[in-house]
Amino acid sequence: MSTAQTLARLPRATVEFANLILTTPDATIGATPRDVVWTHRQTTLYRYRSTRREHPIPLLLVFALINRPEVFDLRPGNSFVEYLLGEGYDVYLVDWGVPDEADSDMGLAAFVCDELHWAIRETLRSAGRDEVSLVGWCIGGTLCAMYCALYPDSGVRNAVLLTTPIDPSSSLYTRWVGSDDFDVDLIADSYESIPGSGVDWANKLMKPVTNYVTTYRRLLQGALDGKDQRIAYQSMAKWVADNPPFPGRAYREWITWMYKENRLVSGRLSLRGRRVDLGKIEQNLLVVTAGADHIAPPDGTVPLLSLVASQDVTHLDRPGGHIGLMAGSKAKHEIWPELARWLGERSDL
Amino acid sequence: MAADRDAPSPAEQVGRLYEQAESEAAKATERLVGSGGFASLLGQLAENTAALTKLSGDGLDLMLRNLRLAGRRDIIRLSRQLARTEDKLERVLQEVEAVRDRLDREADGHPLVPSAGERPASGVRSAPAARRAGTRSPRRTAAPDNGASSASPPLPRKSSR
Repeated sequence: MSTAQTLARLPRATVEFANLILTTPDATIGATPRDVVWTHRQTTLYRYRSTRREHPIPLLLVFALINRPEVFDLRPGNSFVEYLLGEGYDVYLVDWGVPDEADSDMGLAAFVCDELHWAIRETLRSAGRDEVSLVGWCIGGTLCAMYCALYPDSGVRNAVLLTTPIDPSSSLYTRWVGSDDFDVDLIADSYESIPGSGVDWANKLMKPVTNYVTTYRRLLQGALDGKDQRIAYQSMAKWVADNPPFPGRAYREWITWMYKENRLVSGRLSLRGRRVDLGKIEQNLLVVTAGADHIAPPDGTVPLLSLVASQDVTHLDRPGGHIGLMAGSKAKHEIWPELARWLGERSDL
Repeated sequence: MAADRDAPSPAEQVGRLYEQAESEAAKATERLVGSGGFASLLGQLAENTAALTKLSGDGLDLMLRNLRLAGRRDIIRLSRQLARTEDKLERVLQEVEAVRDRLDREADGHPLVPSAGERPASGVRSAPAARRAGTRSPRRTAAPDNGASSASPPLPRKSSR
């Protein structure tokens, strides 16, 4: 493109760029039809509607305590949920909701031993089955790992852990919040519910230029080049900007136990008086890591592979980022089929 | 002439230079945020922000209390009481379901007393135990595998918030 052409397109591209930014909150995400199965406090269990449930073992999707689980169902045509339904799975989703200060008493034990435990129970009852497959992503994967370790006989047949922090000792987070310079008690006491925007800001600060400059420069460049990027950009941007608060107690425990004391991988983490021993995980296990993941680097997940007692362990290390691996435009043709194939081989009676 | 056509335009040259500079800046800032000094600064910044938030919140709450109005803390206290009640209700419902499962088993001709391999009907463990015994009795009608539930989905036990 010549300089003259670029200058001629610039006004229109600028207007389109501004329009893309300003209308992002109107984008539609999480559009796949679903029904409420169970609610408790802020937690909701959904079941996605389907006309072809072929695999008898239902799937329960579990996302992190930060951001919303709509990333599993980002937009029509690029939705993991939609893909799974198309593959014949019976798909459930546990949504932690939007906690407020009243939920600041909820610690990790409440999420693992109550909310997730009961959500699995309700999934089994709703599906009329004895077993379920868990698909946990990010902190959701860690919660699933804790659950499988605490309740090895609870009916979880398969566990899929996507970009899950297990041993974050070498991560940037540990450098930031693992030292005494970061007083997690003061912050948890002051806020009760840690503002989601603060957590999001910290996440973006890990790659400041990429998140605050490159994203927008590429968007403007795409507008200049006449690319149709509205749906893809807006759905992801809307999801990224939706940051529910992190319950104070869970935040305090997560930071202290994972980043300051690294208890999970060393077997020193207890929930409700019971030690979370990863060596008790016996489920069929699929661990997925992303090579360019700066939030849960592969080094912080791989130690799980040698700790579990599972006989059937698969590790997939694929190129991509923490979110991009599963929600990027290539996921539909790359990682999703691999997940569906792995689950399909283990989801029949 | 062909070489002139292949040569990048000034705009493209500027664009490439900018991208190169941006890439270098990205690497430099990532090194910066990964340093111990930045981590220390971030910790203090977070503490200061939290302390200011707490001070302002406490001040506003004190003002509301002096006006004899319900403040945030009062609302939170009430919400927690509601949450505790909901927790208890959930546990009671699970016990009721466990009892119902046991009664269903009895009606199906299975012994009411759990066998040695099963736990007694208490809390959440009883339902899977009942299912293992082959007497599944879901709280709501289980959806058929053909997905017909899309027309008549299982009803939620409680209304969605």
